[in-house]
Amino acid sequence: MDAFTRFTNQTQGRDRLFRATQYTCMLLRYLLEPKAGKEKVVMKLKKLESSVSTGRKWFRLGNVVHAVQATEQSIHATDLVPRLCLTLANLNRVIYFICDTILWVRSVGLASGINKEKWRTWAARHYYYFLLLSLGRDLYEISLQMERVAHDREKREKSSSQDPLKYSVADEETEWLQSFLLLLFQSLKQHPPLLLDTVKNFCDILNPLDQLGIYKFNPGIIGLVGLVSSIAGMITVAYPQMKLKTR
Amino acid sequence: MDAWVRFSAQSQARERLCRAAQYACSLLGHALQRHGASPELQKQIRQLEGHLSLGRKLLRLGNSADALESAKRAVHLSDVVLRFCITVSHLNRALYFACDNVLWAGKSGLAPRVDQEKWAQRSFRYYLFSLIMNLSRDAYEIRLLMEQESSACSRRLKGSGGGVPGGTETGGLGAPGTPEGGLPQLALKLRLQVLLLARVLRGHPPLLLDVVRNACDLFIPLDKLGLWRCGPGIVGLCGLVSSILSILTLICPWLRLKP
Repeated sequence: MDAFTRFTNQTQGRDRLFRATQYTCMLLRYLLEPKAGKEKVVMKLKKLESSVSTGRKWFRLGNVVHAVQATEQSIHATDLVPRLCLTLANLNRVIYFICDTILWVRSVGLASGINKEKWRTWAARHYYYFLLLSLGRDLYEISLQMERVAHDREKREKSSSQDPLKYSVADEETEWLQSFLLLLFQSLKQHPPLLLDTVKNFCDILNPLDQLGIYKFNPGIIGLVGLVSSIAGMITVAYPQMKLKTR
Repeated sequence: MDAWVRFSAQSQARERLCRAAQYACSLLGHALQRHGASPELQKQIRQLEGHLSLGRKLLRLGNSADALESAKRAVHLSDVVLRFCITVSHLNRALYFACDNVLWAGKSGLAPRVDQEKWAQRSFRYYLFSLIMNLSRDAYEIRLLMEQESSACSRRLKGSGGGVPGGTETGGLGAPGTPEGGLPQLALKLRLQVLLLARVLRGHPPLLLDVVRNACDLFIPLDKLGLWRCGPGIVGLCGLVSSILSILTLICPWLRLKP
């Protein structure tokens, strides 16, 4: 219980927990809706999902400052590609939080003249750009990591004096794919924070893709990937060493 | 900016900010009503207050576990009175949060058959018990400190030589007084006690903060349970003051009263 208390004392921990609940409800609703006799449960799940979603807005108020601080930090990254990607990503996140705050002002009734659809589209768009740029940075880091692993493997093969020419020319393409996937798997295994961040960003990007109408997914998929990304987020909060650091 | 990031990273801090905003809205609504503002504006303020209240209930989901953890820790205190007061206070707080969770389930439509009035009254009752326990603990701490302070005073005066004119410091504090005197003697005694209390509280800001906070908080359940109707203005003001004080204890951890 002590670990649970320490986890929920952090705003991000609680927010991720509620997010996981929200997407679980979405997933369960999708699974139970076609079944007969489950209308009451589906209705309750819908109510829970909407109240948790509304309540989570309180966790996001003031996150503009967090995003501005993250932008400032990312300007000092050493490599050019991560610096560019992260700074632009965080700038988009700042705009996303500003749109989100305006939507909150509208939802509590403080300003009724706000066009909800327009601001919602803007928020989704900038969140989408943020995720795209974050994925760009992740892919760059993965490629760096793969180069490093390939280099280490070559050094080991050279020193272990084995005959490297074991493959026949006919199987070259499938062998290339296999060795690429093996290299990818090994690089990600050695770098769990990078794997977690890539999975999280990839799962998260499906939601704005659906919202912006670029590619429609069914609510079950959205719920499932939302749940997976929330669990990944909870892991980074519970184990701070699993968070991907900016070098 | 860094300070805000660190502050808002604690979920309790956000909840306190929402509480401050909620009671500020309540106070503002009452003031607007008194001065005859437009019903549209009043409705907006009331709506915002409702949203804040429901949002806070969601933010507080899971606080029962926190209160039970604190009660578990308090069971190991050495002082019997403190152990009793703090443990019972945390247990009552855990029950208050549990009732609050039931209210949230009712308000968000998960359990529509929940009797809102009954559970609200229950939750305020537990909150009141918890505040009474907190105030008892504060009174006990003040009593201990006053005794310490008065014995330190009398030791200092004894050490500095007996010729203190009038003996105003030690006069009414335990020296075997003369049987006559009556009312002026009592008034003097009372004045000395008040001065000693002021001295103790001035020297211990966490205790002063805790006393003021609990005293302000006390008005809320007293009003809601109908024991002492203070009116929405007083409730709003007291709630706002106690929220600001608890935000202060979060920003400056040395201001928090340690058992």
